[in-house]
Amino acid sequence: MKNEQILQTVVSIVSEYQASQGVECDINQETALFGDDAILDSMGLVNVVIDLESEFLDKGIEISLTSEKAMSRRNSPFRTIDTLVTFISELINEH
Amino acid sequence: MVITGTRKGIGRYLAEYYLQKGMTVCGCSRGDSDLVDTRYHHYNVDVAEEKSVIAMIKDIAKRENRIDYMINNAGIAAMNHSFLTPLSVVEGIFKTNVFGTFLFCREAGRVMSKNKSGRIVNFATIATPIKLEGECVYAASKAAVENLTKVLAREFAPFSVTVNAVGPTPIYTDLIKNVPQEKMDALLRLQAIHRFGTFEDVSNAIDFFLADSSDFITGQVVYLGGVSS
Repeated sequence: MKNEQILQTVVSIVSEYQASQGVECDINQETALFGDDAILDSMGLVNVVIDLESEFLDKGIEISLTSEKAMSRRNSPFRTIDTLVTFISELINEH
Repeated sequence: MVITGTRKGIGRYLAEYYLQKGMTVCGCSRGDSDLVDTRYHHYNVDVAEEKSVIAMIKDIAKRENRIDYMINNAGIAAMNHSFLTPLSVVEGIFKTNVFGTFLFCREAGRVMSKNKSGRIVNFATIATPIKLEGECVYAASKAAVENLTKVLAREFAPFSVTVNAVGPTPIYTDLIKNVPQEKMDALLRLQAIHRFGTFEDVSNAIDFFLADSSDFITGQVVYLGGVSS
């Protein structure tokens, strides 16, 4: 799967979640998901992680975004849309 | 509805009980089940094996598109003095009772969170509050289940998923068939109501937790027989 497709999926899932919360916002690669400027609160991030795993599974790709590897990184892969896309790409390529 | 440990004992009873109520029941055990019903689906799963649990819940979610009720019944016990309890026994009990319960709560909870509704019922035991000698590891494992239940209740509440536990008294099942009678009599005397529990006592408490009107009941442990913590 190409990074462009992963990006589309991530943006789509995050947008859907924001819409479900009645929040409208522009989402791009630099959008922060985790930290002070994040558009998601902690439960929002939990929702997005679950939805992303389900979405990729529906596409026949089984990934776990909450592995020890992800959680122990010095820089969280959930910082921005871009870092998350890179992380997912790495996970898919490992398969 | 998903019920773990449905091959025999309380789990088997609960599977048949909820089938009779018209529900679709997905059960599991390490071995095959001879329970035959068009609305019963059996999975050969070790509840402590993460991949198998994930695969089972995903399969159910795919077929049924939802999970309304999750009953974590599967459990094992080993009665012995702690001096005589090998670590392998401790590990086995914690794997089934704690890890298994956690895995099914997590996976079923994820599916339930999508529908913003769900009921999870875990199995505690009166051995925990009465600090039963000879049941050190079992009681400790179920103490862990109680805490899992209470914390998960808070974590799952935003998704309208409740998590509670029922703590049965001794019931005549395989779990206690080798316990000497005088030990059982002494145990029954610790209850407010001095009798063995029945399967119906357990399903009655579970029915309360599963009721639509119990959506404000979560993080609770109900001990049967009048035992209190």
